[in-house]
Amino acid sequence: MAIQTLDRTAKQIVLTVQDYSIFAWRSLMNLFRPPVYWSDFLMQSDIIGVGSVSIVLLSGFFTGAVLALQSAATLSAFGATGITGRFVSLTMIRELGAVLTGIMVSGRNASSMASELGSMVVTEQIDAMRALGVDPLRKLVTPRVYATITMLFFLTIVANAFGILGGAAVTVFLNHQNGTQYFSMAWEGLHFRDVAQGLVKPLFFGYIIASIGCFYGMKTTGGTQGVGRSTIQAVVTSSVLIIVADFLITHVMLSLWPS
Amino acid sequence: MSLSLLTELDPLKDTMPVVEMRHVTLSFDGPPVLQDISFKVAPHETRILLGPAGVGKSVLLKLIIGLLKPEKGEVLLFGDPVSSMPEQELFPLRARTGMVFQEGALFDSLSVRDNVGYQLIEEKKLTDEEIDAKVRESLRFVELEETFSLFPSSLSGGMRRRVAIARALINQPELLLYDSPTGGLDPITSTNIIDLIVKQRDVHLTPSLLVTHRLQDAFTMCTHRFDADKGEMVPLPTGQTDPNTTFMMLDEGKLIFDGTLHELLHTDNAFVKEFLE
Repeated sequence: MAIQTLDRTAKQIVLTVQDYSIFAWRSLMNLFRPPVYWSDFLMQSDIIGVGSVSIVLLSGFFTGAVLALQSAATLSAFGATGITGRFVSLTMIRELGAVLTGIMVSGRNASSMASELGSMVVTEQIDAMRALGVDPLRKLVTPRVYATITMLFFLTIVANAFGILGGAAVTVFLNHQNGTQYFSMAWEGLHFRDVAQGLVKPLFFGYIIASIGCFYGMKTTGGTQGVGRSTIQAVVTSSVLIIVADFLITHVMLSLWPS
Repeated sequence: MSLSLLTELDPLKDTMPVVEMRHVTLSFDGPPVLQDISFKVAPHETRILLGPAGVGKSVLLKLIIGLLKPEKGEVLLFGDPVSSMPEQELFPLRARTGMVFQEGALFDSLSVRDNVGYQLIEEKKLTDEEIDAKVRESLRFVELEETFSLFPSSLSGGMRRRVAIARALINQPELLLYDSPTGGLDPITSTNIIDLIVKQRDVHLTPSLLVTHRLQDAFTMCTHRFDADKGEMVPLPTGQTDPNTTFMMLDEGKLIFDGTLHELLHTDNAFVKEFLE
């Protein structure tokens, strides 16, 4: 009995991964075959991008601020509080800006996509769309995937900028250090490889957020309870995958451009 | 009860069926929902699928337009094997059909205008003014022109069902599928909906398959016709039935009856008799 359960679970996992791979691949490839729903892309960009600016801005600002607080406390032991700017900018741009923005956007948008599409599935709206001769993958999923990829890229830049500003605010107003020195160190410490690393990640994270959110939404079964379940699965899976993907991308980027 | 055919129409069986199912079986992680189902829908024919709740009536409709795939057997729509066609090739075929879902399945984020004109908007062949005109015409058919700018959330259950019918009709489909269009509605609204379906059947002669568990609706469709002069549904003379409206009955996934109203009323099948009583 236990072996049968194990066997069934293993098959289920393999089947889900297979379904997701086909779903995610098709959602990307749809851009290269008509019809392409540009108006839906713009609408989703507004919902995902503009709608997420406030949470990204706030989380970026306060992450930078707390980084400056923590690093200044540690660096002061070595008389190196002057390099706080460099510490904050490198940490934000290489790592935290992309990951935090990814997780914040995942919490807001992967859940929204899963619940919206899930509700459409359980009320037969997706079937109605297919019955009307419209491909829901093309109409609903592809615009969300490309909008999330594009918008997460810009949101990460916003988070990085406000993170550095948050660090500057703490450095100047709480630690009473020189602001020019902070920005100068922040700028000098950055190299192309750091910026490249920080801006490649959101492209992958955006793809993960939208494809996972839409996948769980479109696979919803079991009525309104199923919609709730899909929403949770979408947020949990996309958040975990963002962290796993972050590790893999960092590993690859560091082997391409060693520090 | 003595029943006879109203008129002698074209020999339907000699023409290509609009829908054909051949030995279709389907199951979802358990016993088969549908088992060895075979039937045809001829041009201009209206088939009424009866059966208690949960016997696979809606599943059968979804198989016809390829929303589900059978495990065994073949489904032909306009002569094309939808059961073996890839999803991408099914969209043009589906666009030639109209389906009314059980709860309407209106897009709740879109207005009635955008819901009814959805297919036309997506096809991008008409201007906004032309789409508006067609939407109004379709809404006029279901007598809901005043809902043009409203959202589905502000409509009653019966109105939603009628808007769903307007959406299904707007592109002049070659086949109509109705999934319990009167389910959960009050008798007056149900009669209004059946009135619309009979009107569509008799005015446009569109072949259709109607799923219902309400015998009253099924018998009304068979014993009434649309009177274009009066603009309403009227009963056929006593003893006469619509010759192109026939019945099927499902029980536990099996097709247990396929025939005319006369045959339905005189069948020896114990389950059919019990259902009719």
